[in-house]
Amino acid sequence: MAIRVNPGYIEVLDKFGAEDVQMCYQCGDCSTVCPHADDIFKFPRKSMRQMQMGLEERIENSLEPWLCYYCGQCSEQCPREADPGETMMSLRRWLISRYDITGIAKQFFKSKTSEILTVVFIALLTGVYLTFYGLSGGSLEVYDGEGAFLPSSFIHTFDLTIGGIMALFLLIGALRMWYFTMVKGMSEPVPWWLYLKELLELPIHFFTQKRYAECDDNKDHKVHMPWLIHLGLMLGYVIMLLLVMVFIESLQAGPEIVWTVHIPAYLATIGLLAGTIYFIRHRIRKTDYVQYKKSHSTDWMFVVLLFIIVITGIAQHILHRTGIMEWANIIYVVHLMAVVPWLLRMPFSKWSHLLYRPLAMYFASIQKAAIIRQQKLVDPLSVTIK
Amino acid sequence: MEKKKDKIGVYVCNCGTNIAKIVDAEAVAQYASTLPNVTLAKTYKYMCSNPGQEMIAEDIKENDLDRVVVAACSPNMHERTFRSALRMAGLNQYMLEMANIREQCSWVHKDRKAATKKAMALVSGAVHRVLKHDALESMSVDMNPSVLVIGGGIAGMTAALELADAGNFVHLIEKDDHLGGNIARVDLTAPYYYSAPDLLSDRITRTMEHKNIQVYLNSKLTELTGFVGNFAAKIQHMNGIPANEAKAKEVAIGNVAICTGYKEFDASRVTHYGYGKLPNVITSFELENMLKSGKVETKEGKIPKYVAIVHCVGSRNKEFHTYCSRVCCMTALKYAHEIKSANPECYVSDVYIDMNAFGKGHEDFYKQSSKAKTLFLMYDKENRPVIHKAGPKDDCEMLIEVHERLSGEHIEIPADLVVLMVGMEARDDSHEIAHLTNISQDKDGWFIESHPKLEPVATTTDGVFIAGTCVAPKDIPDTVAQARAAAARILARISKGKIEIDAVFAEVNEDVCSGCRICNVMCPYSAIEFDEEKKKSHVISALCKACGVCVAACPSGAIKGRHFTDQQVLAQIEGIFTDVEYAEPAGVS
Repeated sequence: MAIRVNPGYIEVLDKFGAEDVQMCYQCGDCSTVCPHADDIFKFPRKSMRQMQMGLEERIENSLEPWLCYYCGQCSEQCPREADPGETMMSLRRWLISRYDITGIAKQFFKSKTSEILTVVFIALLTGVYLTFYGLSGGSLEVYDGEGAFLPSSFIHTFDLTIGGIMALFLLIGALRMWYFTMVKGMSEPVPWWLYLKELLELPIHFFTQKRYAECDDNKDHKVHMPWLIHLGLMLGYVIMLLLVMVFIESLQAGPEIVWTVHIPAYLATIGLLAGTIYFIRHRIRKTDYVQYKKSHSTDWMFVVLLFIIVITGIAQHILHRTGIMEWANIIYVVHLMAVVPWLLRMPFSKWSHLLYRPLAMYFASIQKAAIIRQQKLVDPLSVTIK
Repeated sequence: MEKKKDKIGVYVCNCGTNIAKIVDAEAVAQYASTLPNVTLAKTYKYMCSNPGQEMIAEDIKENDLDRVVVAACSPNMHERTFRSALRMAGLNQYMLEMANIREQCSWVHKDRKAATKKAMALVSGAVHRVLKHDALESMSVDMNPSVLVIGGGIAGMTAALELADAGNFVHLIEKDDHLGGNIARVDLTAPYYYSAPDLLSDRITRTMEHKNIQVYLNSKLTELTGFVGNFAAKIQHMNGIPANEAKAKEVAIGNVAICTGYKEFDASRVTHYGYGKLPNVITSFELENMLKSGKVETKEGKIPKYVAIVHCVGSRNKEFHTYCSRVCCMTALKYAHEIKSANPECYVSDVYIDMNAFGKGHEDFYKQSSKAKTLFLMYDKENRPVIHKAGPKDDCEMLIEVHERLSGEHIEIPADLVVLMVGMEARDDSHEIAHLTNISQDKDGWFIESHPKLEPVATTTDGVFIAGTCVAPKDIPDTVAQARAAAARILARISKGKIEIDAVFAEVNEDVCSGCRICNVMCPYSAIEFDEEKKKSHVISALCKACGVCVAACPSGAIKGRHFTDQQVLAQIEGIFTDVEYAEPAGVS
């Protein structure tokens, strides 16, 4: 059965940032230079081709875009300036919009106005709601304990509600991803026990991002800086999310420092602050790394919002501990005005790759194991794939 | 006639070490000096060098030599050189014989003793032969400065104008009722979008009005007789008059330039594409017409949403033509641009085998097409796309099914309009032209040049030149370059005024000739005519290439090949079979 080519698809992808994919003439330099492309996952070349031809279903069912960490070597090598690195990035954006059932992600990626308006609207709504709530039951002069402007028990419930909504959409996205890639995308069903056999891949990739470390082509570097920063930011984020969702009450209690929760929180803050500053700096400079050369509006939304969250988080903490309660509360409201749209936006934005990418690594190792197993069943002497 | 002295000088060349490494040149010279009539025998490092030639010339004068044998390389290489050395010394140039002791001896043998003996035998043959040589005089004939140009396309007009501007009269024959050829059917040209009518109009006006050009429209060549410098051509007007009744005009010319161009491949021969059956499958020339009129639309008058361009229709395939037509790739890219700029909403798919972007500016043009989001899809040359009607639910007229090579997918491409890039073919009447002008065609019908690299516009018939797409598919710049090259070759001959004809040709002894005419049909150069009055055959010396076929074929032995007479050849054989002795000097391995 022939599959239909969609020549108009390339224009859809334009909005997601794949502005140069039409330049590709399939020489394959990108796949040669890519440290992660192999016999089974032949990206970026294959993905570039599917994209040019508008083979939507093929892309939807593929894991390849997630296997790329965007080191940018392919884009540097490309003889036709087709920017395969950015194209893979665009495909990840597109895939996020396909995993999302609400259509919000698609809207955000396609229109920066709608995203900014939504974020501002939710921020204002949050601000108004929290101000009214705070004034109705507490005092602006009190930060913690009795009569607090925003009692930590209330914030705990509030956080869990917002976090729950986020998790729900993210989980639906993950399920759809599984269905597309592991059910529709496979010619033969994957044996269930392979999911158990390869399970360890999930935490390994989540916590180490070791594939990103392999992206460095310069063997003189002791560490691959983008990897280290990316890992620091991610771990900082996850620790902070965990602290806020579970230990918010001890985190917000004062005025003494609770070392058991504050030490990890400080470490996480360092990771977040360093990461956001690093990203903003390179996105402005554009020259040091290929992957920061092009910035989609959603990339800016990501770093700027996170930067505001980190700065206001630090500020409210210092103000609280130094006793300037009134301002601590005001800044805290501002902090939450950034946190709420940030969390609600997560399943519909780039940040969802926090879940999708390690999941893709996990699925990819299952697929690989399944394919090798199938080949061995057909021909026991067949050469194993790397 | 000068009295025969029969004093021979033998010159054995070392050719650096090319000969001396295997052949003991000294011994060969020593041996030659013992042969009858040999006055002197010498060796030299490079006989073809200026000192070498001067040595020969001086020896001729000082020793009163009247015959020379040079034992060196192939006569193909240096016969002209040594002939001029003889002329320098005032000797007839045909009193030379070369013994090839390089290509036929030192280069092909390893045994020094045997090689030296063979070289001695070859020299002996040459010495025997040269004794039988006659002094021959080369002829020269006047060059008629008028030129016949066949074909009024860009090549024909360019050549005609070049020749006419230099002051020569040109007869230009065109089969159609207008000048311009295939380019007159084109709108814009790739890759710079020069307007084709603009390229032509100035040339057409100049050609029509030029005082040195006589244009014959609706006409064709019906006969070409004579030889280089002195052809007679019959031109027949075809308009409305039956060919046999129309009175042919005869013109005298010195050279012919054939610029008859190409015809497009008939797309209906490829059944997969449904050309002629599906209304919106059109050829590139039909699209040119649409572009000229400014409207690209389907037969139903709708603006197509999807346009597909299929490359290599009739080209690069075993079934039709295996060659590449060279212009279609860039033309297809031009269409993609033009269609896209006419209807920006339209999606263009370009279905190709390879993108041949070899020319100046072509790669950039290809890049621009990619930038304009043309979807390039690659098919296999032995696995052609299939075009069929789309279903009622589809948003397009047709679907092109193809195995796409770059993705490995079996795909279908939506299309409302399909453009078939038809390739170039030799014209149907090209064999007629080839026959009339006595030139050859290759398996595809293209005219054959006398050397594909060094003589791209000359043919094996002296005075007949070819240029443009009648030689092979090519684009406008290459065609124009060839037309100017052909004109330049002709002008060089005209400016010389006369043309030298080698004295080596066949001669019929009319007393012996029985008039059987066997030689007439055997001659590969049509150089033998039959004198109906005398009932004898006659060799046109200017056309004869001295191949010797007629000499061998004549049952009466009436034909003599000058410079290759029986006596000369037999003497040479006799000389070669002379016993030679050679003992290797001690100390030489």
